[in-house]
Amino acid sequence: MARLCRAASGACVALAALAAVACSAAEPLPAPCVDCAPGTAVPLPLAIDGTYPGMQPDALASAVGVSSCATVSCHGGPKAGNHDVQSFAFTIWMNDDPHAGAYETLHSPRSKRMARLLGLGEAHRAAECLACHSMQHASRATLPQEVLADGVGCSSCHGESSRWQQVHYLPEWKQLSTSQREALGYRDLGSVTGRVATCIPCHVGNGSLQVNHDLIAAGHPRLSFEFAAYQRLWPRHWTPFGKVEARADFTERSWAVGQAATLAAVAELLAVRTQQASAEMAAGRPHRWPEFSEFDCYACHKSLGPSSYAAAHTGGFQNPFPGQPSWQPWYVSAGRLLDAATAPAVVPGTRSVSASAVDVRRVLEADWSVADRARLERVLLEARGLQRAALLAGRELEARDRIVLDLSQRKLDAVVADAPPEWRFWDAAVQTLLAMEAAGGGPAALGVRRADQDSATRRALDELRESLQFPPGADTPEDFNPVRFNRDRVAVPFPATVQP
Amino acid sequence: MSPGDILLERFTSMQLLPRFGARFSAAAIVVLGLVACGHTATAADGPKPRTGFTYTGADLCVKCHRSEQGEWCDVATTTAWRHDAHSRSHLALSSTNERTRAMEVTLGIKAAATASCVACHTHPVSEPAVEEETKLLHAGISCETCHGPGSGYVDPHIQKSWRFLSSAEKEAFGMHDLRNPVAKAENCLACHLGEVATDRVITHQMYAAGHPPLPAFEMEAFSTAMGPHWKRVWEKSPRIQQQAAQAGYQTEGASVLARSLVGSLVALKQTVHLARDYAADAEVGGEHRPWPEIALYDCQACHHALTVPSWRQEAGYGQLAPGRPSLVRWPRRLAAVAFDQAGMPTDVDALLSPVVAVLNTRPFGNAPDLGRVTDESCRQIDKAIESLARWHRDETLTSRERLAIERVSTSGRGVGDFESARLLAWALQHGLATHADWPQDVRTRKTAELSALLALQFPTPAYPRPPAPGKPFWQTSLAAAPGADIARVRGAFELPPASRPQRPPVIEAIPPPR
Repeated sequence: MARLCRAASGACVALAALAAVACSAAEPLPAPCVDCAPGTAVPLPLAIDGTYPGMQPDALASAVGVSSCATVSCHGGPKAGNHDVQSFAFTIWMNDDPHAGAYETLHSPRSKRMARLLGLGEAHRAAECLACHSMQHASRATLPQEVLADGVGCSSCHGESSRWQQVHYLPEWKQLSTSQREALGYRDLGSVTGRVATCIPCHVGNGSLQVNHDLIAAGHPRLSFEFAAYQRLWPRHWTPFGKVEARADFTERSWAVGQAATLAAVAELLAVRTQQASAEMAAGRPHRWPEFSEFDCYACHKSLGPSSYAAAHTGGFQNPFPGQPSWQPWYVSAGRLLDAATAPAVVPGTRSVSASAVDVRRVLEADWSVADRARLERVLLEARGLQRAALLAGRELEARDRIVLDLSQRKLDAVVADAPPEWRFWDAAVQTLLAMEAAGGGPAALGVRRADQDSATRRALDELRESLQFPPGADTPEDFNPVRFNRDRVAVPFPATVQP
Repeated sequence: MSPGDILLERFTSMQLLPRFGARFSAAAIVVLGLVACGHTATAADGPKPRTGFTYTGADLCVKCHRSEQGEWCDVATTTAWRHDAHSRSHLALSSTNERTRAMEVTLGIKAAATASCVACHTHPVSEPAVEEETKLLHAGISCETCHGPGSGYVDPHIQKSWRFLSSAEKEAFGMHDLRNPVAKAENCLACHLGEVATDRVITHQMYAAGHPPLPAFEMEAFSTAMGPHWKRVWEKSPRIQQQAAQAGYQTEGASVLARSLVGSLVALKQTVHLARDYAADAEVGGEHRPWPEIALYDCQACHHALTVPSWRQEAGYGQLAPGRPSLVRWPRRLAAVAFDQAGMPTDVDALLSPVVAVLNTRPFGNAPDLGRVTDESCRQIDKAIESLARWHRDETLTSRERLAIERVSTSGRGVGDFESARLLAWALQHGLATHADWPQDVRTRKTAELSALLALQFPTPAYPRPPAPGKPFWQTSLAAAPGADIARVRGAFELPPASRPQRPPVIEAIPPPR
């Protein structure tokens, strides 16, 4: 930050004055940069609790909205020029980041209809909607509407800023350790683990934030999270120096650690859902089991005509009997790919991630529509098993010096041959593509590009991605053909292994 | 000696009465004797329970009904039936069919030897024993499937006195009264929707294995497509009509539209009964009747494209929580018109609110709860049916029909799903076909427009034209739904003002439901 201020030293005072006019009166001005005034000794009274001499007591409560980060001299600078990305982080967020529109979308006709169908009143005032579509804070309920209207703003991810907002630009900040910063509420987003943990509560869900089938039926899109792809698609508003981007295995690490964390969260969510349903059943109250969003969307949501998605599944049914939906193939395939590509060490006496995922499938799909507490107990047990396996795998992967994804075509062929019906799903095909992109580099049009990417590979992956798009006007993979996908996949000139 | 030869011998010898001993109880003979002597059997004699009769096979019926039998029976019934798709329904059980073969492999069954297949494709297996299994299996859905097992009435019904028996008396011999639109609808819907008592229940597993979806069932459209092998009394000669009137002959209500409306009410009741009866002996996690059985629910509740906006979300959820499957929904909109015509509240959702409440307690609802809540709703439906059954052919018919046609049109303009739209469209087509208050060109245009948008055409033309090869019917129903344009469908239900002035309203003349 000090370096940053020096770069803009001439303009600093003038900009602060301008910002004072632009800012609302309620927002406290950022304290002047301590090293801007020449000859001033650097004061070092920074207490670990984020307070400092002369600090206004009410600053603690109010410094949470994006406008407290948005001054031109801090994070709201112009995008042009060779400034540090951090100086225009807010500008990028404001202009390019979908999170900035999270609240706004609650005013769309679709959101209004959803709220009406669900009996939630106004979407932009409903706690259920704001839980993900506004500031991610424990204190959300007491925040004024204009702060909620920021959408998913800075402190949603970087942590509640009341205790660090006034000090995080001081030179001493640099000397604080990650855990010291976290003690002030500042989240560590320099690692994959930290990032993915931040995304998961909304993008996968947990006990209190759930996109269940009621919500989807009313019009909410389904959630299908893959961290590496989301990260790639996301306009980057930070400098990669000293962060996970600096690692040679950035994309591989993002994919592998991200998938492990996602699977753990998915298992946790399933476990919580069975517990909730079980408790409701015991109390004789209405419940939501079977929770349809745990199952393959396109098992039910498909045209019944002869050219449907199901008809493309030549070779029979995926399931023990026809008419039974499968557990979300999005996650089952992710587990298989994770095991195949990284072979996480399995603690003796426990099951691998993919085996645990299949265990969940087995108990969840047998009598899938039956709401019976003994059955839910079995699902819960297997869900906990998967959660444990995924957490262990994630920890082991995180500790590796270098993560290499072995996703050669031969390896993928072997994975598909191992359980062919599971690879007939569109979801599984997309997961395969995303894994290939992580192992071989992202698509040409998107974000970070790797130096070792072969342009022919990139083009072929882009084409493969294109082939998985839904047909125009459709919201289901009507024309997906697993045989064609596997043929196209093999045709991608994919490096046998990524050289270290 | 073939059964046909046996019957031929029976007819030529004309020694019918001595044979009664073998087939009839003494009481039946007494009843017949009384009738023959000019006495009308009263209710006190009581119809015999319809049990113990057996199938005799269509071959016996063909002997007479293949040609006109005089003024009373002046239709070549079995000839018409030969052109009717029902006569070929058993062919679907043959493994030589690609689809049947695929279903057999998927389900691990032999269709022709599986009770749940045979029940609808020939006759319910819970009905009495069959003399010659193979013979009946090769006749598809034949005379006795609908008219009742023939062993009781095959001999007496050729007596002249037979036609003056009341329907209850005929029932005592095992012959079903299909002139009663309620009984007829129940008879058809037993297969076309399902009936637990006779084990005619299509399961989701069968659908998933490849059975075509059962489309919405509109009584009159399906009857017409089947090719009527009967004449209504008022279609017969004046002399016969007079005789029938003297005998107090029960006939169907004259209004086609009234019969459509009654059909929709019976279908609505049947959807509730089907779920109730199935739930009554469903076993959670069991093999025989696992609960929940997904096929009891509305296909389009789940099987719809996920585009936004979609048919599904346009249709709304009523009192149901979004994302919870409803019971079969297609009878509802036409049934609402029927309730309106019966002078009753038209909110079907409110009528079925106890059922909806059960479906809201958990996805699909709990079986025991579903069994408990259906009775009151069904009593209301019965009231409406009773009221509409009194809608007879008289001078007020046309004005009443016109009102009903306008109601169907209004309902169609707000329709929310494909199968409901088809049911309304069929009813509207039939209403317009018999109603001259709109100019001929309007009626023709509307009929064509609805047909094209909603795939209303049946592949098998009616008797006497031979069946034409064409798209199987099922391919044009749900498969067409995702591509259907709701705005255009709604527009097609728009009717211009009638060209003839409305006559005085007659709605006051309808007796209120009891």
